[in-house]
Amino acid sequence: MTHLIRAEWTKLFTTRVWLGLLLGACVMVIGFAVLLTSFAGNPESGIPAVGTPLYEELAMANAVNVNVLFLIVGIIGMTQEYRHRTATPTFLTTPRRGNVVIAKLLAYALAATLFALVVLVVNYAAVAVHAGVRGAAPALDADNLATLGRSGLALVIYAVIGVGLGALLRNQVGAIVGGLVYLFVIEPVIRSIPATSGAYKWMPGGALEALTATFEGPDLLEAWQGGALLLGYGLLAALLGTFLAVRRDIA
Amino acid sequence: MRLDGRDTGHQTRRSDIATPHAPATDPVRVEVRGLTKSFGAVRAVSDLGFTVEPGTVTGFLGPNGAGKTTTLRMLLGLVRPDAGTATFNGTPYTSLREPVRTVGAVLETAFHPARSGRNHLRVYCRAAGLPVERADAVLTQVGLADAGRRRAGGYSLGMRQRLGLATALLGDPSVLVLDEPANGLDPEGIQWLRGFIRHLAHDQGRTVLVSSHLLSEVEQTVDRVVIVGAGRLVREASMEQLRSGAEGGGTVLVRSPEIARLAEVLRADGMTVSLDGDSLTAAGRTTAEIGARAFAAGVELHELRSRTSGLEEIYFQLTAGQEQYAAGATSPEASR
Repeated sequence: MTHLIRAEWTKLFTTRVWLGLLLGACVMVIGFAVLLTSFAGNPESGIPAVGTPLYEELAMANAVNVNVLFLIVGIIGMTQEYRHRTATPTFLTTPRRGNVVIAKLLAYALAATLFALVVLVVNYAAVAVHAGVRGAAPALDADNLATLGRSGLALVIYAVIGVGLGALLRNQVGAIVGGLVYLFVIEPVIRSIPATSGAYKWMPGGALEALTATFEGPDLLEAWQGGALLLGYGLLAALLGTFLAVRRDIA
Repeated sequence: MRLDGRDTGHQTRRSDIATPHAPATDPVRVEVRGLTKSFGAVRAVSDLGFTVEPGTVTGFLGPNGAGKTTTLRMLLGLVRPDAGTATFNGTPYTSLREPVRTVGAVLETAFHPARSGRNHLRVYCRAAGLPVERADAVLTQVGLADAGRRRAGGYSLGMRQRLGLATALLGDPSVLVLDEPANGLDPEGIQWLRGFIRHLAHDQGRTVLVSSHLLSEVEQTVDRVVIVGAGRLVREASMEQLRSGAEGGGTVLVRSPEIARLAEVLRADGMTVSLDGDSLTAAGRTTAEIGARAFAAGVELHELRSRTSGLEEIYFQLTAGQEQYAAGATSPEASR
């Protein structure tokens, strides 16, 4: 399995897709940090003032806003095999296709951990500078570190979900568009309609909110439950994908 | 670096073939038994069986749509057969302990366009647990060493085929499966490929299965042929057997100042003759038979030659009937 994971790393780092997505994630996270801090304490925005524990929790969890890019990293990692037809040499080299999916899940979890660390550092730096200018840079105390850690974990799990979704759908454009529509259209609608909002805490978005423990919003699971549920969605997609899609004929 | 015939023994004469020197790999026999596959309502392969002997080059021939690619993909575990088996020394591909070291395959040119050829090969070295230095070794072997660090998306068709071949050679396999490897190669590339395939089989003792829709493309390379049409086995034979069956199978071109009289003589002999100016084309007899008839009739000849390869003719006859549904209303050329 180690050599299969290294093969996936070689695939990932021998094109520049990872660099583009990581830079994009850094730019996005800086933008969100600046927006959050700019409107902090503004009564119309509802964002707590700089220096309050609630502001700091939001600012430390800010990296979660780039989860979509981590989802895309995972989707591309899996679906590029079909898009560029490298599924043929890949499955010739490793005829047990389930092993390829497992290697991708592990390889992308590891790569996403590195990427997430970069994003967290960038996020903290952006928040510390801007909030520092506005009065009080958040300290790296236990609470803030825990929030940072949970938001990083959420990013890693989103990359795993991406691999699983890619295995299930195989079509790169379809998986990315489907993922975006789900995250930005379907879930917000479910969350906002009273009749369905009860189900929201069991959905990936609700699980993500539980994991990163933002203070407002609907009834949520415990943080660890949210993390486990989120990871479960990713692994379920990978398992279904392996048996329903990846094992199909490569014609 | 270029590989040419002089330093690699490509020009091995046919008489040497039976005694390959210093085989590089273990002999592996490929056996296909009762292979069957349908896609929806279309039966692509029907109860197909044949054997590929170690150390030989076997041509896998048939018109497009005959089921060649589907068969090769079933052989390699990429497509699941509805029935039948395909094995390497008795073991199906997906159960091979080290598939890449046993079988190398070139199916289609598949690589990420933004990745260099060398990195493409390194990916599969890693996945197969081979040392990454194999990537440079096979690049040199196929003559791509200079282009290895360039993006594979910028490669010419011929270079792509060579990269595919390099991928297949990574594990130094006993068996090579090549699906239409000459596609996209220029005449020089085809010449190189022929020599390379002969070298791999006859000098190194590898088993080679190479598919093509043209017999003429592989005629000089292969020892045996497996001919399929409409997913069924049409003929499995050595080239010698095929050639002996092809005697008199071609057409003969004759030029003569007394062409009309010669045509009468040949027609009287039961031949089909078509006249064109001072020449005619006769079918169903060898040049020797026609020469003898002309001599007996006292007709002066200016030219007498076999016009089409008898082998090509017999291949066409073997597969023509099978092509009806595949080619439909279009000509065989159009279906290529």
